[in-house]
Amino acid sequence: MAAQPKPLPIETPNYLQGGGLIGWLTTVDHKRVAVLYALSAFVFMAIGGIEAMLIRIQLWSPENHFLTAGVYNQLFTMHGTTMIFLVVMPLEIGFFSNFVMPLQIGARDVAFPRLNAMSFWLALAGGIFLHLGWIWGGLPDAGWFGYANLTERYFSPGLNLDFWVVGLLILGVSTLASGLNFFVTIVAMRAKGMSYMRMPMFVWAVLITSILILIAFPPLTVGLVFLLLDRFFGTHFYVAAYGATPILWQHLFWLFGHPEVYIMALPAFGMISEILPVFSRKPLFGYPMMAYSIILIAFLSYGVWGHHMFATGMGPVADSAFAITSMLIAIPTGIKVFSWLATVWGGSLRMTTAFYFGLGFILEFTIGGLSGVMHATAPVDLQQTDSYFVVAHFHYVLFGGVMFAILGAIYYWWPKVTGRMLSERLGKLQFWLTVIGFNGTFFPMHFLGMWGMPRRIYTYGAGLGWTSLNQLETVSAFILGLAFLVMYYNLIKSTLSGEKASADPWDGRSLEWSIASPPPAYNFAHVPEVRGRDAYWVMKYGRAGSRGVAMFVAGQVPPVPESMQAPPTEPIHMPAPSIFPLFIALGLSIAGAGLVMGLWRLIILGGVTLFTSAVAMGFEYPSYGQEPHDLEEIAPSSGGIDLRKAGLWAFLGSECVFFASLIATYVVYKSRNVGGPGAGILEIPLTSVSTFALLMSSLAMVLALNAIQQNKKNMMRLWLAVTISLGLVFLGVEAYEFAHFYHQGLAMQTDLFGQSFFTLVGFHGFHVSVGVLWLATVWFASFSPKFDKSRALSVEMAGLYWHFVDIVWVIIFTLVYLMQQVKGA
Amino acid sequence: MKRAFQLISSAMVAASMFLAGCAQGRKLPMTTLAPKSDLADWIYRLFIEVTLWDGLVLAIVIVAFLLAIFVFSTRVGEAAPPSSAASDLKLEVAWTVGPALILLMITIPTIRTIFRSQPNLPPAGALEIKVVAHQWWWEFQYGDKDHVITANEMHIPVGVPIRLTLQSGDVIHSFWVPQLGGKRDVVPGQLNELTFIAYVPGVYPGQCAEFCGESHANMRFRVFVDTPQQFAEWEKGQSTMPTAGAAMTDKAAARGAQVFSNSPCAACHRIDGVSKGYIGPDLSHFGSRTTMASAIEANTPANVADWIVNPGRVKPGAQMPKLGLSGTQLNDLVAYLENLK
Ligand code: HEM
Ligand SMILES: [Cu+2]
Ligand SMILES: [Cu+2]
Repeated sequence: MAAQPKPLPIETPNYLQGGGLIGWLTTVDHKRVAVLYALSAFVFMAIGGIEAMLIRIQLWSPENHFLTAGVYNQLFTMHGTTMIFLVVMPLEIGFFSNFVMPLQIGARDVAFPRLNAMSFWLALAGGIFLHLGWIWGGLPDAGWFGYANLTERYFSPGLNLDFWVVGLLILGVSTLASGLNFFVTIVAMRAKGMSYMRMPMFVWAVLITSILILIAFPPLTVGLVFLLLDRFFGTHFYVAAYGATPILWQHLFWLFGHPEVYIMALPAFGMISEILPVFSRKPLFGYPMMAYSIILIAFLSYGVWGHHMFATGMGPVADSAFAITSMLIAIPTGIKVFSWLATVWGGSLRMTTAFYFGLGFILEFTIGGLSGVMHATAPVDLQQTDSYFVVAHFHYVLFGGVMFAILGAIYYWWPKVTGRMLSERLGKLQFWLTVIGFNGTFFPMHFLGMWGMPRRIYTYGAGLGWTSLNQLETVSAFILGLAFLVMYYNLIKSTLSGEKASADPWDGRSLEWSIASPPPAYNFAHVPEVRGRDAYWVMKYGRAGSRGVAMFVAGQVPPVPESMQAPPTEPIHMPAPSIFPLFIALGLSIAGAGLVMGLWRLIILGGVTLFTSAVAMGFEYPSYGQEPHDLEEIAPSSGGIDLRKAGLWAFLGSECVFFASLIATYVVYKSRNVGGPGAGILEIPLTSVSTFALLMSSLAMVLALNAIQQNKKNMMRLWLAVTISLGLVFLGVEAYEFAHFYHQGLAMQTDLFGQSFFTLVGFHGFHVSVGVLWLATVWFASFSPKFDKSRALSVEMAGLYWHFVDIVWVIIFTLVYLMQQVKGA
Repeated sequence: MKRAFQLISSAMVAASMFLAGCAQGRKLPMTTLAPKSDLADWIYRLFIEVTLWDGLVLAIVIVAFLLAIFVFSTRVGEAAPPSSAASDLKLEVAWTVGPALILLMITIPTIRTIFRSQPNLPPAGALEIKVVAHQWWWEFQYGDKDHVITANEMHIPVGVPIRLTLQSGDVIHSFWVPQLGGKRDVVPGQLNELTFIAYVPGVYPGQCAEFCGESHANMRFRVFVDTPQQFAEWEKGQSTMPTAGAAMTDKAAARGAQVFSNSPCAACHRIDGVSKGYIGPDLSHFGSRTTMASAIEANTPANVADWIVNPGRVKPGAQMPKLGLSGTQLNDLVAYLENLK
C-alpha cells in the first residue's frame, strides 16, 4: 500500500508533459491542480456570463416577456453564485495562488499536495452540485445570499435549494482546505532568506486571505447546517413562529460574507502589486505599509458585517457602530490606491496588456470603493441598498476591481503557465472593449439606483423613466461579452500556436521568472537563496532599486544565474500521485446527493467511500514507510516548523470560530425559548462526572506523550488506553443524557433550546468521537515495530486535538450547564 | 472655509437639481433625488455631502493617475525617468491622515442623521398605520380597532407625523417609497418602525425591496399624500360599511354580490359586513382604489376580469387560485367589486 516516492530522472520534462489522463486525475502537483482549477473556472465563467447576458436581454424593455419570473430568479441567483464561488475564487485561490505562490517563495509544492488535489475535486463537485437542480426542475432561486426564511422548505419546497445548501457546504470544505494548505505553505516552506518582509506582496495577500478563509467560512458552515436541519429534520432555526429569527441567518451569512469580499479582493490587490512594479521597473511603493494595510483590512473586515443589514432595524447604536467600522476600512484601502499610483509615478513604463488592466483596475476599483463609503453612511445606504446602486457598487468592486486584476494576471502569468505568449494586439482590443462595455453597463446603474430601481426584479413598469438607461446597459453588456469572446479566442489561439515564451518574458522581479516556462515538475532544480525583496531582480541587477533600463533596451537582460539553471545534481523526491483525493470528493458528493434525494443507501455508500479513501490516503506516503528526513527535502522549512503541526493548529483555530458560532446561537436562542421544557431539564451532577472523566483523560494523554518521548512504548499504550476509555465514558454518559431528554419530551424539533442544545453538544460529541477514533488508530499503529520515539509527533498531534476538544467542553459545560444553574437559583 | 464649503455644496446641489430636474422632465416617480418628506430630505442632504467628498477624492485620484502615467514617468527606452523613491514617510502619513479626516467629516453628520431618523418614541400626534407585507401584496391597517383596512394603496395626510409599524405575514420584505425615505425591512417575528412627515401632496409609487420569491418584482404599492380635507374624506369613506350588495342600484352589481358570497372568494377576502376572509387583501372599498394586483395594473373592469380568470398570468406565483368563473357571472362579480366604493 505505502507508495514509495519515485525519484525523478535527472532530465525532467516540464510539468505539463506525460502522465496521460490518469496522470491528471491523480495529480498532486500544485501546478497541474492549478491548471485544472483554471479549466473549470473558464467553463463556469462562460456559463455565468451567458446568464448575465440573458438577464440583460430581459431588462431591455419594460414588461418584457423574454423570460418568466421563475427563470429570471434562477438566473440572477446562479449568476451571482457562479461568479463568486465558481469563477473568481477558483481563479484567484485555486489557480493563481496555487500556481504562483509556491514558485514565488521558492517551494517545490504546497504543504499538503494531496489535500490540494482534494480541494480541487471538491470544488468541481460543489460546482456541479449547484447545477444539479436543473435535472430536477430548476436551479437555486433565492439569490446568492439566500435569505432565510424564504429558503425554508415551506416557502421553497424544491430540490434546487437542497442542492444549493449541499453544494455550498462542499465548496466550503474545499476552500477551507485550500486556506489551511496555503497558510502552512507560506508559514513553513519559504526558501532560505525569504523573511516575511521579503515576500512578494502577492504572497502576503495569499497569506492573509488564507487566514480570512479559516475564520470566515465556519460561520457560513454553521448557517448552512442550521438551514439543512430546518429543511430536512424539522428544526426551526429561522422560523419566527417558534421564537427564532430569520435575522440569525443574516448575521451568520454576513459574518462570512463580508470577509468573503476581501477573500476575493486581497488576492486581486496582491496581483496588482506584482504587475505594476514589473511594468514600471520600480519596486512596489511603500512595501511595509502595503503589507500592514492588508492585515488591517482583513482585521477590520471581520467587524463590518452589519453594514449589509442597516435596513433590518438593528437600532441606531448598532447602525452607528457598523457605520464607523465600515468607514475605517476605507483608510487602509486608500493607502493602497495611493501607493499603487506612487509605484507607477516616475516609472519607466512598458504599456503591455497586463499593465493596461493593472492601471484600469486602479480607477475602476477606486470608483467602487468610493460608492462603498456611501453605503457605510447608514442613512444613505437605506436608499441605496437592494437597489441598482448596489449592483453598480459591487460590480465596480468585483468586476472593475477583482476581475480586472484577474484579467491582468492572466496576461501576466499565462506565459509561465503555458510556455506561450498571448497576443498583445488581441489583448489591447479586449482591454478597450472591456473598459467601454464595463463602464457602459455598470455606470448607468448608479443612476437607475438613485431613480429607484430595485435589484432582482424581472420586470418593471413603463412610466418610471428607467427604460433608456437599461437599453444602454444591455448594449454595453454585449460589448463586454464580445470582450470575453476575444479573450477566449486569444487563449485558445495561444495554446495552439502562440509564440514560445522565454523563462522571463517581462523582466520580472520575483522567483517564478527564474525558472523555465513552463516550469519543470519540481519547480526549482536548486532551491534559491533569497537576498532581498524582489528576490529575482536582486539576483539579476544587484539591488531592488536599480532600473536596468539601459541593459533592458540593449536586449541584455541578465540571464538566469548559472547556479539555478544547472540540472539537478541529485534526484528530487516529489510526492507520488494519488487517486484518493478524487475518491474523497466522490464519496462526499455521493453522500450529499443521497441526503438531498433521501436515499440512505447512497449516503452510506458515499460515507464508506469517503472514510476508506481518507484512511487509505493517511497510510500513503509520507506518513508511514517514509523516513522523516525525506520530508525535509520536499519541504525546505524556513523556521523548522513542522508542517502537520502547523496545519493542525490552523485547523483548530478555524474550529474555534465554528464552536463560537454554535455557542453564540445557543446563548441567544436559549433566552428566546418559548414553550418546551427549556434548559431546566439539564442535570448537573451527572454531567459533572463525565466532565471530570474528560479532564482526567487529558492528563492521561499528557502521560502517554511523555512516555513515548522517553521511548516507553508499553507505558504509552497503557496511558492511551486510559485516555480512550475515559473518552468512551464521556460519550456513554452523553448518549444516556440524550436518550433521557428524548424520553422526557425534548427532541431537536421541540423548541429553540432543544435544537441549539443538541447541535452544540452533538457537534462536540462528534468531535470527541473523532478524537477517540484517532487515538485508537494511533494505538493500533503503535504495534508496528517501526513505531518508536521518532513517531512521537503522531501521538502529539492526536493529543493536541484531544486537548482542544476537552477545552471546548469546559467552555460548553460552564456556559450551558453551570450558568443555567446560577440563573435558576 | 465655511463659505467655500457652502459655495461648493450649493454648486453640487444645483448640479443634482439638474439631475433631479431631468427627473421631473423625464418623469422619475421613484427617484431618491427629489425628497418629499423630512426623512427623505435628511438622507438626500447627507448623500450630497458624501458625494461631494467622494467627488473630491476621485478627482485627486484621477489627476494623480494622469500625472503619473503621462507626465511624471517615461516609456521604457526613453531618456532616464525622473528619480523616485520606493517610499516616502511624509507622503504616506499624508494619505493616511487626509482620508481619515474626510471620513471623520462624513461620520459626524452620519451619526446625527442615524439618531434623528430613528426616534425611540413616536412624535406627538403621530398617525399610526400598521403595514403587513404578504407574498406579494401590502396591507394597511389604520387605528386601534383597524377601523380602516386597505391594500396596496396607502393614504396619509400631508404635514402630519406618520408612524408605520411593519410586520410580515410570511417572509422578509422591505418597505420602500423612494421619495418619502429609505427602506425598512419587514421581518417576521420582529416589529420594525418607520417615522416621517410628508411635505408635498401627491402620489408616490413604492415597491418591495427585499427579494421575497417569485413575484418580488410585482410587489408594488402607492402612497397618496393627501391634503387634510382629502384625507378626512377618504378615511370617512373607508370606515363606513359599503352598501350591501342587494341594495346596489346597479343590477349586475347586486347579482355579483350573490356570486361573491357563493364562491370561494369569501373564504379569503374580507368585505365589511359580508365576509371575514383574511388570507387575501380586504376588498371592502375595492372600487375606490386606482390600481389593483399590488399596483401593477390600473383598476379597470377588464383588468379585474383578467385577474379573476387567471391570477397567475398577471402575477406569477400569485397565491389566489383560478376560480373557473366566466360569462355573466364574471361580469356581475366585476361590477360588484367596482361598485364597492
Ligand atoms: C458580463 C459581465 C456581467 C454582467 C453583464 C453582469 C450583470 C449583472 C446584473 C444585471 C445583475 C443584477 C441582476 C438583478 O438584480 O436582477 C447582476 C448581479 C450580480 N452579479 Fe453580475 N454581471 C457581470 C459580471 C459579474 C462578475 C464578474 C461578478 C463577480 C464576482 C458578478 C457578480 C454578481 C453578483 C454577486 C450579483 C448578485 C446576484 C444576486 O442578486 O443574488 N457579476 N449582474
Ligand atoms: Cu460588506
Ligand atoms: Cu420582495
